[in-house]
Amino acid sequence: MTTNRKGFTVSLLLVVMMSMLLAACGGNDNTAGTPSPGSTGEAGSEAGKPVTLEFWTIALQPTFNDYFNDLISKYESSHPGVTVEWKDYPYDAISQRLLTSTASGKSPDVVNLNTEFASQLGSKGALLNLNEYLTDEQAKSYFEGIYNSTIVDGKAYALPWYTGTEVLFMNTRLVKEAGLDPANPPQTREELVEWARQVYEKTGVAGYAQQLVSKLFPIDGIPILNEDKTAAAFNTPEAEAMIAQMRDLMAEGVVLKEDAEFSKQIQYFSGEQVAFQLSGPTFINFIKKSAPDVYKNTIAVTLPTGKANLRLSNSMDLVVPQKSKNPEQAVEFAAFMTNAENQTAFSKVANTLPSSKASIEDPFFTQSDGSLEAEAKVASSQSLDKATDYMVGVPNAGDINSALARGLQEILMNGADIKETLNAVEKEVNQILNQDS
Amino acid sequence: MYKAIRSESFAAWAFMAPGLLFLAVFTFWPIIYGIPLSLTDYSVITETHFVGLDNFTRAFQDHNFLISLWNSLVYVLVVPVIQIISILMAILVNSRISGLKMFRAAYYIPVVTSMVAVALIWSWLLGNNGVVNYLLLKVGILSEQVSWLSTSSTALYVLMFITMWKGLGYYMMLYLAGLQNIPADLYEAARVDGAGPLRLIVHVTLPLLRPHILFCTVISVMGAVRVFDEVYILTKGGPGTSTLTSSVYIFQKGLEQFNFGYASALGLIVSVMIAALSVLVFRLNRKGGVNTY
Repeated sequence: MTTNRKGFTVSLLLVVMMSMLLAACGGNDNTAGTPSPGSTGEAGSEAGKPVTLEFWTIALQPTFNDYFNDLISKYESSHPGVTVEWKDYPYDAISQRLLTSTASGKSPDVVNLNTEFASQLGSKGALLNLNEYLTDEQAKSYFEGIYNSTIVDGKAYALPWYTGTEVLFMNTRLVKEAGLDPANPPQTREELVEWARQVYEKTGVAGYAQQLVSKLFPIDGIPILNEDKTAAAFNTPEAEAMIAQMRDLMAEGVVLKEDAEFSKQIQYFSGEQVAFQLSGPTFINFIKKSAPDVYKNTIAVTLPTGKANLRLSNSMDLVVPQKSKNPEQAVEFAAFMTNAENQTAFSKVANTLPSSKASIEDPFFTQSDGSLEAEAKVASSQSLDKATDYMVGVPNAGDINSALARGLQEILMNGADIKETLNAVEKEVNQILNQDS
Repeated sequence: MYKAIRSESFAAWAFMAPGLLFLAVFTFWPIIYGIPLSLTDYSVITETHFVGLDNFTRAFQDHNFLISLWNSLVYVLVVPVIQIISILMAILVNSRISGLKMFRAAYYIPVVTSMVAVALIWSWLLGNNGVVNYLLLKVGILSEQVSWLSTSSTALYVLMFITMWKGLGYYMMLYLAGLQNIPADLYEAARVDGAGPLRLIVHVTLPLLRPHILFCTVISVMGAVRVFDEVYILTKGGPGTSTLTSSVYIFQKGLEQFNFGYASALGLIVSVMIAALSVLVFRLNRKGGVNTY
């Protein structure tokens, strides 16, 4: 009797497990209709059916409520039958929210993501291919390098929205103390290293702190992946030389021996423990509050370029999840939010840079009133036409970034052998590229 | 009699029901559901396929996962240290000296403080220009600044120290409860027989605390293998893989890289490992009872 009961229980558990397994292997409804390029030009909802678009952004409420509410009501009045529900989530929460809502079959329609996350989701087939919806004219209205940054396998997974390029912030007090002239700032990475070395020798203060991330490779013209994005391409003598130089600079004290996140970089610059800072214009807001005296002595200049002679953008994008129930209306709304007129307006209220070519012609981006904010804005906007995201078209960008960052930390923080570590990371990246999951 | 027992057990189940319900929904169900998921390439956002045991074979070839298992095992070294210190602290705060209530409260404050706050405070203290470096340089123990959390040789041990610092008060309270259950006449009898303070601890206190030691050791081993908060907040597993623990790696694979099928397989492997360690602790503590002296 007992045995029977045990047997029954085991069988029941097996049945439950198998049914769950089958449920987990369920199909993936793609509700997207058959699109046609240019279909985003239609006004209103199909056949007058009311449509509600769920629009998610990252950390923009309550600061920009007025801008978005005005824009959304303008859109709704010109698109009868379309209602836009705007929700805003913190940066750390948006990926979890997106996963849980997708899993429960309630996908949002338009979502604000950064390029890395958009590439990661796009290469997993979770986002709409916008090339099927946009006209050539629409696609060409964005800066090419930025628009191309989320193209994986010829599919464009995101519309570029607001962006930023790095500039060089300089503590003029320390620079002058080292006998250097801030009016003639360094133009290349090599010159920046020389300046940093002189600052360190004359003042005892390190040049700069940085985070050990994969963008260090493309800055010096070392591609992360090969042409067709099928294999790692960073394991080269050039990469070895670049990392060896970084290791020597850290050993010298010219660059801080630390994997410094942005918050740490703010602390170092605010505390005058470094003379330079390489980051986007938003950095100003932090030092203005945390170190007013340092803020007064800081100037912003165009970022010195590495061997690749390019500047990297750091963009926010708008994407349309594959499971959106209103793909055409969603793409249309995303295109509206990111058009030149609206991007220019947003840049003016949020002090960000636009990714649309026409916006940059606005005097707002070329005229400076001499303030640090205006200098940084002008310096960074001048780089936009050369700007590209460093993970251009990289599938599973998040996984690959993690692997490269870990490798750089192993070498520069843990003293691992450069060649051996590069070999190991290359193997790991190739595994990531060959995995379906 | 039988009725009384029945009504008593009904009452017990009724009291346990809310907690059990939560456990069932948020603990047992995800564990069970993790088993079929581990056999798929489930990622929430894309179509799911059955992959058989691929995730498990991949796990044992995954260099980073093996490192994370090793780091988690190293983390278990914190267990004996934390138990010994918390027993000593409990004995201290159990003595009848005035002003000890304040110490009891002070030791317990870290336990009720949020781990995020604790981690941030320690990140400031341990920063390059933090108080720890300042003091050690002042007294001459260090000749140059140490990046405690960015140096591979120190980062994991620093995290273990923070875990220990936060957990001490919790275990101290459990041991304190155990100490207060030991009858005073046992100590009296031992003293009459000429036992000094050390012999009292070794022959009376520790044997009678054995059930508490077993309980605390088991939960402490589980906690050490599953450690997540302090590692994720302070180092995210870095520098390199120096502090990559299994929980952090599972989190990265699942919630950051959307490989939920693979993460489920890793989770199952770690669960089996925790179960094996717990059984080992039980076996080591099976012998017991009061030693005669």
